[in-house]
Amino acid sequence: MSDRPTAAELVEATREFLEREVLPTLDDGRLRFRTLVAINALGIAQRELESTEEDVLSDEQAAELARRIRAGDVPDDVLALLERHVAAKLRVASPRYLDRY
Amino acid sequence: MAAGELHDRLAELLGPVEVGEPRLLPGGASKEAWAVDVRTEAGQTLPLLVRRAGGGVIHEDTISLEHELRVLEVAHEAGVAVPRPYGYLGEVEGREAFAVERVEGETIGRRIVRRPELAQAREALPVQLAGELAKVHAIPRGALPFLRERDVLEQFERELDSVGEPHPAIELGLRWLRDHRPEPLEPVVCHGDFRLGNIVVSEHGLEYLLDWEFAHAGDPREDVAWPIVRAWRFGVDELRLGGVGDVEPYLERYAELTGCEIPVADLHWWEVLGNAKWATGALTQSRRHLNGQERSVELAVLGRLAAEMEYELLDLLERG
Repeated sequence: MSDRPTAAELVEATREFLEREVLPTLDDGRLRFRTLVAINALGIAQRELESTEEDVLSDEQAAELARRIRAGDVPDDVLALLERHVAAKLRVASPRYLDRY
Repeated sequence: MAAGELHDRLAELLGPVEVGEPRLLPGGASKEAWAVDVRTEAGQTLPLLVRRAGGGVIHEDTISLEHELRVLEVAHEAGVAVPRPYGYLGEVEGREAFAVERVEGETIGRRIVRRPELAQAREALPVQLAGELAKVHAIPRGALPFLRERDVLEQFERELDSVGEPHPAIELGLRWLRDHRPEPLEPVVCHGDFRLGNIVVSEHGLEYLLDWEFAHAGDPREDVAWPIVRAWRFGVDELRLGGVGDVEPYLERYAELTGCEIPVADLHWWEVLGNAKWATGALTQSRRHLNGQERSVELAVLGRLAAEMEYELLDLLERG
């Protein structure tokens, strides 16, 4: 148990600082781009820390499935299962990407 | 990188020169790009771009900068639109580098697909891309004997293994690719990263083709299909060719110039391959950060964005 702010709240505060106070002062194209990437990275971290979603596949299950597919032993319903697995990763990593489908 | 050692290398290449302060340019997730202005003894100012190695590489068959410069020289002689190559610089502060002409224009994909002032360029690009690619594929392989063929699926499997993390979606893509492998076409000189992001565009359209580090000998359809991969449409998903146009006029022009007719349906396998390749490439990029070869938040975050290509790959398999 930690005192507040929680880890997610600390990440959020840092992201907001970069967005509101640092980014507007940057003229250099490379620094601006990397700062936007950093803001995005903190957004991913925040969503992961706040997520209450259960994994579709545990690490062990994902490793076992990867081994089976590599060996040519592909389970029947695997496409639908993997779509749910990857969609869950995207809700953390890049939620707006899913709107494109 | 400071001007000192760079000055000595450039002087060996160009004779007595004054060298301005190098500026690191944006973009270039795999190599550094430095803008350097050089003044020759004759009083001429040369705007140069010095391309220098980063730590580690994305794909295991990445060619050295010395070979990349040789590819540029041969492409330049063959009339491919590339920045004028000046020469190989050897190692500058511990990493190899070469110098080319620094050219003006837009390289950032998300701007090329959206900026109103580039509307005319977007109209011209499908046919221009086909024309430039036809020239690349016409380069005699004998001129670049160090460009080797590789079994692309074996390579991606090895690269995926090097990541050390399970990715069953990419495995499913690789399995499907193995089970549906098309008859190969005669190998040609491939650019290896032919897409928006690696071209320079003006309001007239395509000006230069950049970033030849993945040049290799291979099936021409690998290059033809690469700019169609969704990641390289930069959000304009409905325009399948790089977010700027339809595939048909591009394939027609390519067939006119090369005699190689590629039905649209044949691109499906190569589009799945492209997504498996960039998903794996994004993961290996993040490992360059994680293993300390090249610490960078930009590389780090790619480890999470690989899921976008995994999703597209699964969607392509579902649509058949």
